[in-house]
Amino acid sequence: MALPLSYSLRNVRARPARSIMTAGVIALVVVAATLFLGLISSLKRTVAISGDPMNLVVMRKGSDNDGSSQITLEAYQAIRFFDGVARDADDQPLASPELVVQPFLRTKDGGRENVLARGVEPVALQVHDKVRIVEGRMLNPSSGEAIVGRGVAGRYAGAELGRELEFGRGRWKVVGVFEAEGSSFESEVWVDVRELANDAKRPFPYSGVRIRAASEGDLARLERRIDEDPRYALDAQLETDYYAKQSESANSLYVLVIGIAVLAGVGAGFGAANTMYAAVQARTAEIGTLRALGFSRRSILIAFQIEAVLLSLLGFLLGAVLAWALSLVLDWLLGGIAFGAETFTTNVVALRVSPSDLVGALGLALLVGILGGLGPAWRAARLRPIEALRKA
Amino acid sequence: MQAPRAHGGDTPDEPPLIRIDSVSRRYIRGVDEVHALEGVSLQIHSGRFVAFMGPSGSGKSTLMNLVSGIDRPSEGEVIVAGQSLGDLTEDELAEWRARHVGLIFQFFNLIPVLNALDNVALPLLLTDLSKAERVRRAETALRVVGLDERIDHFPRTLSGGEQQRVAIARAIVTDPDLIVADEPTGDLDARNAEAILELLRSLKHDFGKTIVMVTHDPRALRFVDHAFHLDKGLLLEGDDARRADQAVQLAAGGGLISGAGRAS
Amino acid sequence: MKYAHLVWRNLWRNALRTAMTGGAIMLAVVLVCLLLTMPAGMDAMLNDFASNTRLTVHNKAGIVYSMPYSFTRKVRQVDGVAAAVAWVWFGGAFEEDGRVTFPNFAVEAEHIGAVFPDYPITQQQLADFQRYRDGAIVGRQIMQKYGWKLGQRVTLKSTVWPVDLDFRLVGVIDNERAPHFWFNREYLDQALREKGANGLGIAGTIWVRADDPRKVNTIMRKVDEMSRNSEAETASETEKSFFANFFGSLQGLVTIILIVTGLVSLCIVFIAANTASMGVRERAGEIAVMKAIGFPRRVIFTTLLAEASLLSTFAGVLGVALAVGLTGALQAAAGWSDMLGPLGNFIVTPLVIVQGLFLSLFVGMLAGVVPSFGAARKPVVESLHEVF
Repeated sequence: MALPLSYSLRNVRARPARSIMTAGVIALVVVAATLFLGLISSLKRTVAISGDPMNLVVMRKGSDNDGSSQITLEAYQAIRFFDGVARDADDQPLASPELVVQPFLRTKDGGRENVLARGVEPVALQVHDKVRIVEGRMLNPSSGEAIVGRGVAGRYAGAELGRELEFGRGRWKVVGVFEAEGSSFESEVWVDVRELANDAKRPFPYSGVRIRAASEGDLARLERRIDEDPRYALDAQLETDYYAKQSESANSLYVLVIGIAVLAGVGAGFGAANTMYAAVQARTAEIGTLRALGFSRRSILIAFQIEAVLLSLLGFLLGAVLAWALSLVLDWLLGGIAFGAETFTTNVVALRVSPSDLVGALGLALLVGILGGLGPAWRAARLRPIEALRKA
Repeated sequence: MQAPRAHGGDTPDEPPLIRIDSVSRRYIRGVDEVHALEGVSLQIHSGRFVAFMGPSGSGKSTLMNLVSGIDRPSEGEVIVAGQSLGDLTEDELAEWRARHVGLIFQFFNLIPVLNALDNVALPLLLTDLSKAERVRRAETALRVVGLDERIDHFPRTLSGGEQQRVAIARAIVTDPDLIVADEPTGDLDARNAEAILELLRSLKHDFGKTIVMVTHDPRALRFVDHAFHLDKGLLLEGDDARRADQAVQLAAGGGLISGAGRAS
Repeated sequence: MKYAHLVWRNLWRNALRTAMTGGAIMLAVVLVCLLLTMPAGMDAMLNDFASNTRLTVHNKAGIVYSMPYSFTRKVRQVDGVAAAVAWVWFGGAFEEDGRVTFPNFAVEAEHIGAVFPDYPITQQQLADFQRYRDGAIVGRQIMQKYGWKLGQRVTLKSTVWPVDLDFRLVGVIDNERAPHFWFNREYLDQALREKGANGLGIAGTIWVRADDPRKVNTIMRKVDEMSRNSEAETASETEKSFFANFFGSLQGLVTIILIVTGLVSLCIVFIAANTASMGVRERAGEIAVMKAIGFPRRVIFTTLLAEASLLSTFAGVLGVALAVGLTGALQAAAGWSDMLGPLGNFIVTPLVIVQGLFLSLFVGMLAGVVPSFGAARKPVVESLHEVF
């Protein structure tokens, strides 16, 4: 004979103070875990979605990122006419030669950060499909103009439509703001590639080329052809792979965060177990009666475990709501969280709690409840009817 | 064996140890004002063993609290050993109790995590005595109550009767002027109850202790010098008191007639 | 004091509960300590590790912009400069996947020791560094991470320069805060020439040591003046300022860490308070009797409070000890990542230890105050009334 669910429910409601205490402890752990998980997953997501599945990243062999590579004009001229490269309406190849530099930019409150400046030609907008100008317009070549990503706008001095941005050895007029679906491109400043090369005194005008393939079938072939070209030591890879690799370095952080969450969870488990042991003690007579009435040990065990799970769920709900609210507040207050990126630049990440983060936190909460409640439930189940009645 | 009916004492020239003058105790419970005691006056002389008796709600426990300095009267004066208790603050009362009163309760007397010796020595922590001295006095007290074999036992390994004896030892360890016992036999069986009552009587007889006991155990009449009866907050006097005494003796079930107690 | 015995025995009244509460608090303290090592690591780097006589010179436009190597000589001649050394970022990768996992630089072997005398490198090793062109000096953390030994050979593939170089490990920077890999700039220069390039004509950063901390500002001004209107205008700043700026962007992360630390601390308070109030409730009878016997309210209060504080402090001590032990494991897992920088050092500084202990003591007292106060404050007659 199993105890009805209402028994467990009733018990949770009967001692509201105690239930809130236990659920509260679990809630705090959920908030901590959710925020941390959200932080890392936001970071990973920002980087990972930067990759466009139809694009290839071409760099010098041996470079691991944009910022440290160089490509000759010759190499660029050669590969852009390869078969398989997409063409625009005027039959011009969608190959975007780019130069990546990491100048200092002054933040609004006087700090200083490395920011990724990407020198581009107008074709860049067509290759980087996700990038859309949302305010102002695209920059004109050779005009000292710049466009800034959403994460940059407002963060640095002068990074606003119509104002002047100072970096490198020059000044650039901000003529547009762009968005890129929350990807790391939004943490970049785009300027004319030749002007940037001049400013940074780079011997090679380009650091890499981004190429859009005409069709999915062309991707692999193009990649191989560029890799194997004997004239230039080039390395081509899918843009998605390129950014995936970069987001992988956040994996060690995942390990750290999960470790922290587990520690917190174990601590909360002890705390929850404590309260539940006290509850079992207080209800010895009641349990004895139930046993005397014929409810099996197993049913008692399960009923108490269910109670623990209900408390976990309560704690999870409290914690999830609080974490979500907190993430919004923090994001608004801090204007995005800055992380260092592979290119030594600042990745401004919007803190978003995603469903998978919540699932992780839920799993933690349930684990805490089940494991924490196991001991007390076991003790309750082992009470002999006669003993329990006598204690009363 | 007899129940002398001395009212106030048979040594009139000596001032009483305890004097209760027109004492009332009222308090608010919810929306009602409860009159726990109304205009009670009595005297208790040193070296007497007296009982406060009456049905529940009669005010006997309230009276006990006033005598032992646990509570203060709403009206009237409680003077014990020359000190008017109504003048003292809560903390001063605590200090006074520590020095002048030994208390025994029906339950929860002993601290379960301390052994008998440490329980008895507990009140001595409030004094300046050295540890060795505290231990010595506690051992002495335990010997008086006949438990020197059990000094390192914990309460859970002692019987009900033994636990009460430890409580009594604790009550006398500070050598107080007054011992106050609240239903000391309430939780015990007949044999143990009689043993405790006898122990209390011997404390009065051998050591001259003044003992005030709240009880509704009819057997108590055989051991005390005098019983005060209360009903609904009032002290019964004169004929009412005599009638109450008789009622109790009847309830004791022939203790008078057969003399030596028989198991009841 | 004489109540110690009573307090101690009351702690073990319910051994399971004491153990659970202690365990919970201990883990929470471990967590707080680990979290606090992050901002503490940053603080330590800025305040303790940065020397007050060292400054850095770099291109005003950015750290990745370079200066002509010849500028180093001019800097060395400025009045007040005890020594100066040029660094160039090599960007060498050791790992298979080609990722750069620690900062590595081409430096001037004959000057490096003079600019960083506070870095523990033996004289013999510095001499070897100058003698062996392919020599390298490595920070202890990196040595430990990869299990390298002195005398071993290591190859780094540059992600910035078109060369791979093979080094002989000749020296160790024997402290926790310099995860650097230094090698001879001559070596890189030669390799570049062999490839047909013009050699290593640049300096990425110039580190300078002043012979007197009071001269630092003057030196910085002089150097920047010298470079004004040249092709590479410089911006000089103190070492402390350099690090502050470099990791300034981590502020947001630090804020979140501190918030989570606060949350976890709150957790501790809940847990300890819960246990304290459970204990007090159970003992209502005894407490009433003790008050009746004559124990003053402050004694009741203090003994209950002492019990809560003792438990949480003891748990705190264990927690701190555990944190110290765990940091070794963490350093291996995350260590000096690009993401975290000095936050990822996980060094438990004395500050962190003190904070952890203080937290547990303070929390224990805080948690114990309300139930103890409530139990003690009631007039004895009420306490008795509730119980009997």
